[in-house]
Formats: sequence, C-alpha cells, structure tokens
Amino acid sequence: MKSALVVILLFLIFLWYLSFSATRLDRLHHRVETSWANLDGLLQRRAAIALEIARSEIADPASSLLLTAAAYQAREARVEDRSQAESGLSGALGLLLSDSEFTSSNADKALLTELSLLTDKIRIAIALHVDAVTSTHNVRSKVIFRLFRLAGRAPLPVTYEFEADVL
Amino acid sequence: MLTKKLRIGIVCPYSWDTPGGVQAHIRDLAEFLIASGHSVSVLSPAIDEDALPSYVVSAGKPISIPYNGAVARVLFGPIAFTRVRQWISQGNFDLLHLHEPAIPSLSLLACWAAEGPLVGTFHAAAKKQKIIFAIGPILEPAIEKLNARIAVSEAARSTLTEHLETDAVVIPNGIYAKRYAGGRPQAKWQGNTIGFIGRFEEPRKGLSVLLEALPIIARFAPDVKVFVAGPGDPDEIKKNIDAQLLPRFEFLGRISEEEKADFMASVAIYVAPNTGGESFGIILAEALAGGATVVASDIPAFDSLLGNGEYGALFESENPTELAKVVIELFRDRDKREALATAGKVHAQNFDWEVVAQQIFSIYEMSIVGSNGVSLATEHRSWNRLLSREIDRE
Repeated sequence: MKSALVVILLFLIFLWYLSFSATRLDRLHHRVETSWANLDGLLQRRAAIALEIARSEIADPASSLLLTAAAYQAREARVEDRSQAESGLSGALGLLLSDSEFTSSNADKALLTELSLLTDKIRIAIALHVDAVTSTHNVRSKVIFRLFRLAGRAPLPVTYEFEADVL
Repeated sequence: MLTKKLRIGIVCPYSWDTPGGVQAHIRDLAEFLIASGHSVSVLSPAIDEDALPSYVVSAGKPISIPYNGAVARVLFGPIAFTRVRQWISQGNFDLLHLHEPAIPSLSLLACWAAEGPLVGTFHAAAKKQKIIFAIGPILEPAIEKLNARIAVSEAARSTLTEHLETDAVVIPNGIYAKRYAGGRPQAKWQGNTIGFIGRFEEPRKGLSVLLEALPIIARFAPDVKVFVAGPGDPDEIKKNIDAQLLPRFEFLGRISEEEKADFMASVAIYVAPNTGGESFGIILAEALAGGATVVASDIPAFDSLLGNGEYGALFESENPTELAKVVIELFRDRDKREALATAGKVHAQNFDWEVVAQQIFSIYEMSIVGSNGVSLATEHRSWNRLLSREIDRE
C-alpha cells in the first residue's frame, strides 16, 4: 500500500516535471519567434533603406542595379536562405559605402546615418536571436525532451549565420 | 530617441540603502528614464522603508549572506516571493529589467514569477566556481526566460559565458559625464599629486600597492603628495606608513560629488591600484570624465575600460615598482600626461547616460516586439498549446 503511494507520488512529480519542461520549451519557442520578428522587422527596414539608397545619388547606375537586386532578393528569401541573402545585401551596401565619403547632399547623409544606426541595432538583434535559437537547440537536444516529444510539431528553429565582418 | 513611453519595472537585488555600484547604476538609470517621460517602479529590499525615493517600492528588510568574497544584503523566501508576484500583477508593466538575476535574490524571484519581456543585466565578474554545477540546472530554466542579457563589461560577459553558457550584449555602466566635466581645479590638490578614491581599508582596492610604491616615487619627486578620499578609518593605515613619508599623505574622508569633480580636475595623476574583484571600474570612467590622467592596474576590467592603455596608463597589478615607474614617467612628461587626459576625457563620453541609456532602451524596444506586457507566469502554457497545437513561423 505504502509503496504504491510512493510510486503514485513519484509518477505525479514526474508528470509535473514533464509539464514544467514543456512550458519551458514553449517559452523558448516564443522567445525565438519574438527575437525573429524583431530581427525580421529591422532587416526589412534595411532593405527599404537600401532601395532608397539605390534610387538616390549616392549610387552610380551599376551599384544601383546591384543594390536593387540584392535588396529584392533579401526581401523575398525564404527563412533558410535569408541569412545568405542578407549577407549579399550587406556586401552590396559595403561596396557602396566604402567610397561613400564623396556624398555631399544632406538628405543622402541622413540616409547613411540611418543605415549605420540600423546596422548597430541589427547586430544586437542577431545576437539576441542567435542566443534564443541556441538555447532552444540545447534544450531540445536533451534526452527527456526528445523521448517525450515535448517540442510537439514545432519546427526546429533555423540558425541565422552571423557574419560579423560583413555587417 | 527615447520615443515610445513605457512602463518599466526594475528589480534591484541588493538593499537600496547600502552604497554599492549596482544600486547607484539602478538609481541613475531609473532617474534618467523618468526624466525621459517613462514611468518606472523599482522593487528593492530596504532597511529604512521611509527614506526611499518615490519610485522605489520596498520588498522588505534584507538579510546578509556571504557572497563572492563580500557580504551581500539580499532578500528571498516565500514572503518576498509573494511581494514580487503582487508587484508584478499590480504594476501592469511593459517590461521588467532584472539586475543580477543569477544570484539568490529578488531578481531571481521576479525572473521565476514573471512572463513576458524580460531583460537581465549581469554586473558581477567572478572566477569560475565549482558550485555552478550544482545550481546551474536550477538557474537555467529561469535565466533562459530573459529575452535579452546585458553584461556591464567584457569581464562580466565572460563570467556569464563560463557559468551559464549564454551570451550577452555588453553595455557599460553609465555616468553623468557633464557633472564631472565641470570640475574646477583647486590649488590645494595641484602639483605633483596623486589621488585615490575608495574604501581604502578593503585590501582589493590596492592602497597597499600605492603605499609600497611611494618611497620610490618620493625619491624622484620629493614634493609628491597623496590624497586619499573615501570612507574608513585612516589611523589603521597610517600605522603602516613610514614616519618620514607620513606628511606626504592626506586623508580627506568621504567627499561629495562636486568635490569629486574638482578633485579629478586637480590631481596630476589618479591612481587605481585595485588587485581584483572589479567588474567595470565606474570610478575610472568618472576620473576620465573629470579630466584626470589615470594610472591603473592591468586587471581585465581596467584594461578594457582604458582601451589597453590608450586612455590611461596601466601597470602590472600588485607590482609597486611598476606603478612607481609609470607614475614617475608621467610626472616628468607633462605632454604625455595631458595627452592621456585629453584622450580619456573624449573616451569617457561613451559612458555618459545619454549614450548608455539609449543603448539600454534599444534593447528594451527589441524585447517588447510583439508582446502584451508582463504578466505572472503560468504553468499552463504548454497545455494551451497542446489544445490548439499551432506554431506557425513564416
């Protein structure tokens, strides 16, 4: 009788632990979603600014073409290809900005300042997102989470490749 | 700039009425945010509940526990937990900012109790402790709830990576640079003078290193004077000073903020011989902002704050001969001294609250994306999801 009680108690504690772990994982998934929403928003804004730069006098026709193409690619990329497309856009912007000291008009300068502020934010947003994704991966790889399929049908979050030197 | 007006809850782990770096940081941050139009409530342990500023809510009297080589006045336990839950449910916050959430404190309790946008700031820098293997599994589920982690220095960041295997964004501690920039040079502190500010009785502040270096310095600069400011009993220290050198010392006791600014603008060299236990080194940032030429030990926090010696001279920690060498060289080379001070003053603007608060606020903005504010944590989340079974990304 007594041992049966203990077994039931242990089983209940185990159930509670499973529920607790599932909640924990659910929070992590939520964190990945919000950090992604944040990063996505910032990247969309960057693509918009890139298009604006492409249309401004900062860009010569050739770089303008390159930039427009890169910005559209970044906007339309699927999640899996997103980081690569964004790196492409970073590259195109970098090429242009390396000789941006020749820009004169104030409107253009404001555009470039906005871009550099945004780049700082994106750098942090990437770090936050990568951290959320890594935590989720770590937790999901634990035996108990795999064994009891606590992740349910939630897809494994995609890692955003952080290429610091490109940004 | 700081546009969206938010309701921000800040949790302070240590007793509000004990002086300390974390409390000062929270006070300045809260006041800066309030001045920018946000509404801020700080939950903190407090000994004297009547002497609190209007934005601080007391969570009860702290208890003293030994932690990280010092006594920490913190608060936890079931009653504190109830208070924390009450504060969260009544506060209607958009975001919670928890300071030092990895130690047993109010911040950790808040981290357990809350759900929604959470930001954590890690202040401490400590060597890797074995105990972490025991408490890591308990801390992990709480710490991973934080949407964003801030470390006040590279030292604090590496402590976090080593202990909890998670990364952080480095945002330095803030100072009001303008207050220090307005210091007026005082003749009584000028000349071949060395300044020191801090609780000089604590061995880790390194006053003894300066004491040992002084005979060597005095040989080359017989008129050298040392001014020591900060709380403590000078008699104990004076016993250890050579009678011949005693007239070279002056103990000023505690000095006010204004005096501090004048002090930094006057002394030829400000010395920080700390031997360790420093995570950021706010006093160095203040000294730089005040236009002082800084000489500091090369502990990691100071090394990074002074840009490897670009904004102030470094010497090998706990080595009085090296300290003497650096000080004598600077006494002799006025140009070099002034060049360092000028570079330092410019660098100190990076620690101004205008800059630092903006960085913190941009972390806030990123954390609140797509959220409905802070609520009490429920353990039903996974069940809700199980019933509706829908996670949809892109």
